[in-house]
Amino acid sequence: MKNNALKIDQKDNVAIAVHPIAKGEAVVVEGKPLVETIEDVDAGHKVALSEIRKGEEVFRYGEPIVEATRAIKKGEWVHVHNTQPIPGDLKD
Amino acid sequence: MNFSGYKREDGRFGTRNHVMVMSSVACANGVVDAISRALPEIVPLTHPYGCGCGPEDLGVMMRTLSGLLNNPNVGAALVIGHGCENLNSSFLTQVVENKPIEALVIQDSGGSAATTAKGIEIASRFLKQLERQERVSAPASELIIALECGGSDAFSGITANPAVGAAADLLVREGGTVILSETTEMIGTAHILKRRCATPELGEQVERLVNNHERHVRESLGELAGMVIAPGNIDGGLSSITEKSLGCIRKGGTTPITEIVEYAGKPTNRGFVIMDTPGYDIDSMAGMAAAGAQLILFTTGRGSVAGFPAIPVVKVCSNSRTFNKMPGDMDVNAGAITDAGKTIEEVGRQIFDLALEVASGKRTCAELNRSIPFNYLKQGPTF
Repeated sequence: MKNNALKIDQKDNVAIAVHPIAKGEAVVVEGKPLVETIEDVDAGHKVALSEIRKGEEVFRYGEPIVEATRAIKKGEWVHVHNTQPIPGDLKD
Repeated sequence: MNFSGYKREDGRFGTRNHVMVMSSVACANGVVDAISRALPEIVPLTHPYGCGCGPEDLGVMMRTLSGLLNNPNVGAALVIGHGCENLNSSFLTQVVENKPIEALVIQDSGGSAATTAKGIEIASRFLKQLERQERVSAPASELIIALECGGSDAFSGITANPAVGAAADLLVREGGTVILSETTEMIGTAHILKRRCATPELGEQVERLVNNHERHVRESLGELAGMVIAPGNIDGGLSSITEKSLGCIRKGGTTPITEIVEYAGKPTNRGFVIMDTPGYDIDSMAGMAAAGAQLILFTTGRGSVAGFPAIPVVKVCSNSRTFNKMPGDMDVNAGAITDAGKTIEEVGRQIFDLALEVASGKRTCAELNRSIPFNYLKQGPTF
């Protein structure tokens, strides 16, 4: 299967879309379909590979980048609408 | 792993063997330019100050310019001074060891035209002298590779930076050194960098460095501080400053941080070193070149064409679109990760192999284009 996303570190719970992925399409990393998206995900954006509970950290590069402000479903787009910076990081 | 370099008397190896002609102050830039028009083989280095600055800025200029003269890629150097400046040419030549170096002062050498003529004579002699030197085999552990990014895009943190990080890991495993810079691009990752330091003391040091810089950014930019994560980054998919900065620091790879140095400061340890520089790529490259880096790996998404004097700059492009649009400026296409099924590790290996070839003499796009912008860090007022 043609790759359309990257998982940078084994610990990551999100993949990064490298092409736009339409709702219902498989997220394919290194030839393997990992999850199906439940909404459109644009290139460069994150998609949840597993369920992320409210307050749980989102991992990219094997490091926590933001925390979920509500429950995020598997295959859901992950961005500023459902996450916030982790307390202690630079706030705006 | 080995490369072929020019062995210097101090034991270091140059990846190039350039004659550098440097001005000690902006007033001498015209003579340097005139010498380089007559002798295009030399590497001219001109700059905007050298006078009229506070002691702190002059100190940084002195450290940067003398560090560049001492860089192993410079086989011989000529410094053109003006005569009445703060940072005069004898200060610079005194701290250079183990290589042919001379200075001319315009006010003592009969003015611009006479100094240019004498300069051409000296630089021609240096060029002939260096022609006789040959490359010898050197272990990859002798390489100091500077890491830089500029004109980044949404793919820089996904393809080019992680691939350069994989190449950095390969070099560090060989016993070599990589320098990660741009403190501005580390904001939001102090706690992560702290964990990655080889000792608790270094951890405290990196935390202080990044947090102080964050404070400095807040003080200087006020309400605009939040803009260090620009709206364009959010559109591109980045959700926090931590996420953006992690994309930058990924260039340094995954090995422990072994040292933190000031701007243009020379590392004493090998491995993964951090240098305190601004995010402005030209200033940042100058700091790392002054510290002795013989090669620069530079990631870009929008298509930065910036090279650097005397140091080969390898451009790693984050996406195929820019790579194909600017084929004469980009050396590696990390876009192959997103559209040719290559892995980050595969492109990392490709970058590492190319770095060894470039270290052995293969010319980069920036060298072929003679793209040699130069500037250094300046923080205080001009008087």
